[in-house]
Amino acid sequence: MENLHYAYVLIFIAICAVGVNFGFKLQFARKLKLFLLADSLILVIYLIWDFWAVSKGSWFFDSNQILGIMLLGKLPIEEVLFFIIVPLMTVLTYLALTKLTGWGKAKEEIK
Amino acid sequence: MIYSDIALDAVFLAVVLDLFLLKSRMMTRGIFWLTYFLILPFQLLTNWWLTSNEIVMYADSEIIGQRLAGAPIEDLLFGFSMILLTLSAWEFFKDRFNKKLG
Repeated sequence: MENLHYAYVLIFIAICAVGVNFGFKLQFARKLKLFLLADSLILVIYLIWDFWAVSKGSWFFDSNQILGIMLLGKLPIEEVLFFIIVPLMTVLTYLALTKLTGWGKAKEEIK
Repeated sequence: MIYSDIALDAVFLAVVLDLFLLKSRMMTRGIFWLTYFLILPFQLLTNWWLTSNEIVMYADSEIIGQRLAGAPIEDLLFGFSMILLTLSAWEFFKDRFNKKLG
């Protein structure tokens, strides 16, 4: 189970995401295309940064605590998933808070 | 260029994209800051897990050495830039490609 240590973070965030999506009735599945479009920008920028940083040894991973599936031989698959699940949770949090507070609705109505 | 430099550059890039290129201007909205400060403790929690278990480790020469919740202080800049850019991109694409959503 040690090789799931990094994955636990992703699973934890995924559980939060499912909870917030259903709890606030956000119907995120309908917005998946829009999310993937927005996240593609994040993936490009942060994966290039991550790949470059790992290549020069800025940071590194304990091979015993990751699944061992590596992108381009260097980046743990967890890193790629991190740049999907964290932005997803970020958008869900933003949508839930928008719904909860009503902030931002005025801006939409003005348009 | 060490992590500290790149992390500062990432914040700069995210701010420029948000205010001037994508023009979502998330930074000027209260809802953005509310979202950021709600996510922040969760970032610190995951940072603590990843660093205290030494799942992710950092080269001493790449960071200034100040740490928060186990992780290099630079991680705050990285996290901020990613949250800002994510929401800025979300609003950018929402306005252009799917006016029905939101």
